[in-house]
Amino acid sequence: MTHSTMPERREAPGDPMPKPGPTEEGGGPRRPETGSPEKDNLLKRMKKVDPKQAERYRQRTGE
Amino acid sequence: MRLFGIETEYGITRDDLAEVDPVVESMELVRAHLTASFERRWDYAGEDPHEDARGFRASGLAQDKEEDEFAERDAHRPFSFHDMKSDLVLPNGARFYNDHTHPEYSTPECRTLKDLVAQDRAGEWIVQRAADRRNSSLGGEHVQLYKNNTDFHGHSYGCHDNYLVPRSIPFPRLAAGLLPFLVSRQVFAGAGKVGIEAQESGFVPGRFQLSQRADFMETELSVDTMHNRPILNTRDEPHADPKKFRRLHLIIGDANMCEYATALKIGTTRLVLELIERGAAPPLELEQPVAAVKQLSRDIDLKAVVRQKNGSSISVLEIQAQYYQAAERTLAGLDEETDWVLREWGDTLTLLAQERRSLVGKVDWITKHWLLETFMQEERIGWDDPWLASLDLEYHNVHPERGLYRGLEAEGKTWRMTAEVDIQRALVSGPADTRGGVRGLCVRRFPDQVKSVQWERIQFTGGLLPRTLDMDDLFEPDEVTRCLAVFEAAVSPMDALNIWNGRKDSRS
Repeated sequence: MTHSTMPERREAPGDPMPKPGPTEEGGGPRRPETGSPEKDNLLKRMKKVDPKQAERYRQRTGE
Repeated sequence: MRLFGIETEYGITRDDLAEVDPVVESMELVRAHLTASFERRWDYAGEDPHEDARGFRASGLAQDKEEDEFAERDAHRPFSFHDMKSDLVLPNGARFYNDHTHPEYSTPECRTLKDLVAQDRAGEWIVQRAADRRNSSLGGEHVQLYKNNTDFHGHSYGCHDNYLVPRSIPFPRLAAGLLPFLVSRQVFAGAGKVGIEAQESGFVPGRFQLSQRADFMETELSVDTMHNRPILNTRDEPHADPKKFRRLHLIIGDANMCEYATALKIGTTRLVLELIERGAAPPLELEQPVAAVKQLSRDIDLKAVVRQKNGSSISVLEIQAQYYQAAERTLAGLDEETDWVLREWGDTLTLLAQERRSLVGKVDWITKHWLLETFMQEERIGWDDPWLASLDLEYHNVHPERGLYRGLEAEGKTWRMTAEVDIQRALVSGPADTRGGVRGLCVRRFPDQVKSVQWERIQFTGGLLPRTLDMDDLFEPDEVTRCLAVFEAAVSPMDALNIWNGRKDSRS
């Protein structure tokens, strides 16, 4: 399998996120920083969303 | 017996067409995964959605009429049923196909939450990679995929969680023990939704609720899945030895973006099944479970109470607390994963009551609500603004550069159970301790000799007759390890089957 068409995924910036699993001793969730979404990144991404996108979005009923 | 998996139907759209043909788009998307031509591999023998766990066979399903209409329309297409389904079995033991016009990824069977989350994330990777290939052939980023459960016009599609349970637990006991838990599980497993809708009718903006699926629950128990949807689906397709096991097929759940929510949803449900098996589930009985699902979903302050059959009232957090306390009393110390679930379950219930903002990045409805509130303040808009439903949809876009959850994840604002290396591993191999791993190994090692696949068996070509690896009772991890070793070492599937079946015969 090649992954050439998949954009590279970015790891979280700053300190590496701990990757605690239920089997890892001392593991536990790191409380995410929740002050506000980064204005230059996430809000910009949100503002790009077409306000009428959901209106146009139609699916057939699934299970 | 511990074994679980998740099936996810993705929403699919194309932004360069006024009219999208969902059959073609879903089929093309699945086939874009392939680098070789499509070959039919899935074995539909033994699948019967009319079989009911309550001990009878339903004469018809609510969706049969609509399905027949679609079948009539689809009959004019130049594709066969199997062409349209485009079933693929992947090297990690997962199934990827077109189900009811939605690309569906079903994880291989998993025994641990860490494996399950990695396999679920691998599914997101696989469907997005297929979209990238499809878009490459279309010459633009036209196809978008959404890991959600509604189109905001009354059409829902599912994310089903499945558990292997002993057939010895009577179904009525299973149902009684599970119903209050499933009604209230949305408090940490809900993906959040802007607006209110009903099956194939309307959309009312202006309200945020916990769950995407709550609006579509219409009855307590039913074999149906597309209409008259039940809190507890009674389909009896065990995909295992039917004398020993049943497969609990839950269709009430939302598709989660948060890894933590996925792990907690599956982990707590497994513990509740353990409680039921041990006769230790709390004796809760809600008066109107279907109304309660909707009522609780529409109260993001978590203050609403619902009536119990004994006449008293109870809140969503009180229901969950009773299950949590019973699990803590009965199951603490069972194993490391159980203790992890208990700790996180208890902490989450406390935080929901006292400091819910700290669950951003862990619980989807809280994360989405926080994002939308921030946006509303920035743009000075209210909950009735149609932009919010579009942002809700985009939260679930699996495209790394467009999806809102993906953006949060890139900023380090989400809790991770997996590292990228775990997801990469899950793309190419299944869990080493379940039959899903065996299935994946056979697809990788003997791709040209696999004739057909079903969850519980693999048929190989060669010789005069097809040869079959039966896995309907292959659940003990040590037995799985032995089976993997045989198929890893053998020069052909026939050699492997001779050795494996010979060992089984000598033990019986």
